Amino acid sequence: MEILVCVKQVPDMESKFNIDTSGTWYDETDLAYRMNEYDEFAVEQAVLVKEKLRGDTSVADTSVTVLSIGPERVKDVIKKALSMGCDRGVHIKDEQYQARDPMENASIIASFAKDKGFDLIFTGLQSQDRGSAQTGIIVARVLEMRCVTTVVGFELENDVITAKRELDGGLKAGFRTRTPAVITCQMGLNKPRYPTLPNIIKAKKKELTTIEADTMATAERMVETDALFHPEKKGAGLVLEGEINDQADKLISILREKTGVIK
Amino acid sequence: MKALIVGEYRNGETLECTYELIAFAKKLGAETAMFMVGGQDDPPKYDGKLYMADSAKYGEVNPDVHTKLLLDVAHQENPDYVILSHSSYGWDLAPRISFDLKAGQVSEVVDIDDGSFVLPAFNGKLHRKVTSKTGITVVTVQSGSLNMTEQPSGTPEMTLVGGEDIETGMEFTGYEEVESAGADLTKADVIVSAGRGIGKQDNISVIQELADAIGGELAATRPVVDAGWTDHSRQVGTSGQTVSPKLYVACGISGAIQHLAGMKKSEFIVAINTDIDAPIGEVADVFVVADIKQFAPALSAKLKRA
Amino acid sequence: MKFTREIYWNVGADVLAPMYFIALLSTLALIYGFYARSKVYRRGKPLYRFDDIATRIAGALVKTLGQVKVIGGGAPGLAHGIFFWSFILLFCGTTLVFVQADITDPLFGYRFLKGGFYKLFSLTLDIAGLAAIIMMLGLFARRYIVRPKGLESAFDDLFIHALFFAILVTGFIVEGLRMAATEIGQNMELAYFSPVGLMTGLMFTGLEKETIESFHKLMWWIHFAFSTLFIASIPYTKLRHMFTTSFNYVLEDRRPKGSLETQDLEDESAETFGAAKAGELSWKDIFDTDACTRCKRCQDVCPAYSTGKPLSPMKLIERIGDTAFGDIEGSITTSVGKDAIWACTMCRACQDTCPASIEHVAKVLEMRRSMALMEGEFPGDEVVTAMDNIEVNANPFGLAPAARGDWADGLDNVGSLKELDKTDIVYFAGCYASYDQRNKKVATSLMKIFKAAGISVGILGAQEKCCGDPARRIGNEYLYQQMAGENIDAIKSYDPHTVVTSCPHCYNTLEKDYRDLGFDVKVEHYTVFLDRLVKDKKLEILAEEFDVTYHDSCFLGRYNGVYNQPRELIKAAGGRIVEMRRAMENSFCCGAGGGRILAEEKLGTRINIARATMAAETGAGSLVSNCPFCLTMFEDGVKTAELEEKLTPKDIAEIIADRL
Repeated sequence: MEILVCVKQVPDMESKFNIDTSGTWYDETDLAYRMNEYDEFAVEQAVLVKEKLRGDTSVADTSVTVLSIGPERVKDVIKKALSMGCDRGVHIKDEQYQARDPMENASIIASFAKDKGFDLIFTGLQSQDRGSAQTGIIVARVLEMRCVTTVVGFELENDVITAKRELDGGLKAGFRTRTPAVITCQMGLNKPRYPTLPNIIKAKKKELTTIEADTMATAERMVETDALFHPEKKGAGLVLEGEINDQADKLISILREKTGVIK
Repeated sequence: MKALIVGEYRNGETLECTYELIAFAKKLGAETAMFMVGGQDDPPKYDGKLYMADSAKYGEVNPDVHTKLLLDVAHQENPDYVILSHSSYGWDLAPRISFDLKAGQVSEVVDIDDGSFVLPAFNGKLHRKVTSKTGITVVTVQSGSLNMTEQPSGTPEMTLVGGEDIETGMEFTGYEEVESAGADLTKADVIVSAGRGIGKQDNISVIQELADAIGGELAATRPVVDAGWTDHSRQVGTSGQTVSPKLYVACGISGAIQHLAGMKKSEFIVAINTDIDAPIGEVADVFVVADIKQFAPALSAKLKRA
Repeated sequence: MKFTREIYWNVGADVLAPMYFIALLSTLALIYGFYARSKVYRRGKPLYRFDDIATRIAGALVKTLGQVKVIGGGAPGLAHGIFFWSFILLFCGTTLVFVQADITDPLFGYRFLKGGFYKLFSLTLDIAGLAAIIMMLGLFARRYIVRPKGLESAFDDLFIHALFFAILVTGFIVEGLRMAATEIGQNMELAYFSPVGLMTGLMFTGLEKETIESFHKLMWWIHFAFSTLFIASIPYTKLRHMFTTSFNYVLEDRRPKGSLETQDLEDESAETFGAAKAGELSWKDIFDTDACTRCKRCQDVCPAYSTGKPLSPMKLIERIGDTAFGDIEGSITTSVGKDAIWACTMCRACQDTCPASIEHVAKVLEMRRSMALMEGEFPGDEVVTAMDNIEVNANPFGLAPAARGDWADGLDNVGSLKELDKTDIVYFAGCYASYDQRNKKVATSLMKIFKAAGISVGILGAQEKCCGDPARRIGNEYLYQQMAGENIDAIKSYDPHTVVTSCPHCYNTLEKDYRDLGFDVKVEHYTVFLDRLVKDKKLEILAEEFDVTYHDSCFLGRYNGVYNQPRELIKAAGGRIVEMRRAMENSFCCGAGGGRILAEEKLGTRINIARATMAAETGAGSLVSNCPFCLTMFEDGVKTAELEEKLTPKDIAEIIADRL
């Protein structure tokens, strides 16, 4: 069985973001990067499938390929995925990563995947940085694969997938489908493992190919970013700073004055 | 300008977000038509053309089938915009149709700015303004981002669509409700809510203590619930409960848009966070710049003494 | 009147052959027993502990013969010491008898056990024997009647008590019988030099000579049988500690205190990291388990044990031993128990108090390394998150690395090294002082002090990473080395003269752990640095009297022996120190060491509450420490224990900054 996992590297959400001179991106100096949280669930699920099929003689060897698009630094998340148990990495080197829209990214992934016969493609539900929640689904459309999104439960029996989708307000919906399929993973699907040292060492020796993105983006850019900016503080609320006890006293008097709930 | 609104129907009811989409289309200044897979006996309150497919036949949440039905209507209507909610239903359906319609898609729209759309990014810390360059644009709208002024009203001019069987590779096997044993937060006057900033499970007790001191219910954000620090019945946000108490105290909550959507209608919001740039500041009436782990016990102690 | 006695009186020279034959058998049993055990020791991983062998042996002799590490432990330790010395005297006595009877007399016709020397010999042995019996009785009463909490008695203990008692008592009976026949009423002047023998002998004076002689013969053999049984049973019972504990003194770790083995993570031939099986520990670790006497002193001082956690350092050693000698491939993480392994705060109290020089901390670390590096397993999800945060953000909180130096904004004597020329010192702030609101106050207080002393300070800002202490001590050596490497490169690039830390964990890590990785810059904890400034009259503190109790953090105190400088500073600030019942070398951990700062304390009661309560008992109004972890734990502990009215946790730097 061939499995593809698509992961994205995103800046840590606790970072202080400063807008760069282009006005459409942020200054990348001193930023910490990590694997998009949702993609960690995707990697874990792919590895779980592989581990489950290990020893099942009716299935050919399962191999998990992890792919990421972006500048040189995204190799770090590929390596993390390899150390979590993926077998080979593909870095699609792209210097236009700041401008690509989901349709372009999906076309890059599809160009890579189209002749590889992947039975399963796992992606995160969305990225933490832009949160479009489109790429995985478009990949499925391009490759004419079935697609289940927002998955919080996944079982595979031969080629039958039993998946649980998370809807809103805690409601879940069960689906049954078959491979080949794209699965977009939601928080709660699994608990991503912490890589062991032997696996980190092994990961260093695993195949990691780099491909240039330019020829692979077959789609036109349809959505353009005009600006990236800090939202205005609409609330214009009162800011309390200083010593904790003073802050608490002030807050209590404000609550007494403005709300009816504190006597 | 023409917009095709995609209504949502769940467990036999039209979802509230459907009406937000109507308001959104109005703000966009577009004429509207609506598509919905729902119950024809119980259509949404809407003055306009409604393409209604029968949910009894096509299911409420089956993406493949709904994609086919919606594409047929879209080709018929030829709208400038297809508008969906940024919900599990909408974000799933939107890319499926935008690919076929060769339409640019903008996701999680919170505002419209002179033909451009404003989207939150980086957990709401930044906003992004984008323009679609295609003739037809698919939009998903973040629930709760618009102030709805009008009550929904009207009776639609209904056209039934579909009828034929549609092949699908996905079989819906049923809903599964989360057992919500606990609190009904929607009725609480005061909610004290814990976010990831509380650091660890132990500190839930610190927040609970504060809730007790103020006389409110304990609530939490999704990451706190997912970490298992408290149960799902206490989750506030788009995947939990939507609340509007008299006082909402956000403890160590940065304010992801999904959370804000669930609590921004609270009458008075207090945010306690070390990061003054946290997006919770957008909705907070009072922002206390402090470490919740230290501030909460101090506040509880004073409230108890008072 | 002659002052000597006939050796082999009554039993005759005929006994020599069977006696030496039996003695040889028991010696062979002794040798074989240790040989068999040594086969298990040798299954452990290699470790070289024989450098500077003369010093090692000299040290071991002093510790063994002086009972240096044993007698410190109160009455039972003293009893053991007296028993030991008495037994040594008895052993010497027996040796002298052997030398005269079997060497000097038959070969040269030379006898030295006579006259004044014999009187002294006789009296000494008599008193030694009596002392040994009394100590034995005392120890027996403690173990079986008083039964102190936590002391566990096995068959070995009963056997040893009974055997020693039997040897000593039969010895006196033999002596008494001989004296009844040869000295009492005949040579009373000599008999008085064996008072206990005399008392015993008086019981037999009414008997017929023949009865005495045959009874004496019987008792002589019984006494001899017990003695050979004693020798033969040494390697098979806890008695083995006579050899193993003494030899363990030779094997002591002679590196700077608290040094940890830096693992070569690039070693591609390494298949395992850390120790999950007994055989993955070093041979010395296995040997340690044989040196243990189950005296429970480690357990008595263990903060985890005393707060109801499933960790006893003693049982940890015992279980590793049981596993090693049962099945060397057996899982020690299972036999010791994961909860026990995670519960350790690495405060080192067990190791420092151990009279047998057993190294507990390294074993805990090796087991943690195995769980963390081989299984990706940690004490809880919150620790996994912290690991991830340290990896990505270089701090356990997951806060922005770019904001690491923000705490120093607006301080005019502090600047980023990136922008400054040489500064007097480099301040390695650590994660807590950089991000934690409470500890930022400590850092700014310290900067205020430096300013008053006219010292310019450079910080690394965003270039500074977590020192790696919590990661390393929770078992994640890989993450530690990653952090350490980056810190070392960053610090060395500025070629500073001195690095000052306010966190004892950073201090210990930079000062000891980084040395293995090529770090050679001088590092000081701020208390040592400031104490010198005060002594050199470069810093003036305006004393203002107050009552205070001082908490020795483990990593400044036990790990680095800094006890006096912080106290001097507190006194210079006008503090009247009321010591807690656990202070100095005997200090009680705050609960945050060994990476526990990252973990929730789910089992037992809280260590920080136990410590805050001890501090409150002193009646002093403030609890002063020198460590951000301690301060964090005490702020929390004081609130949870509802001691806020009584006790204010502070750092020394804050005390001084208020008095400039």
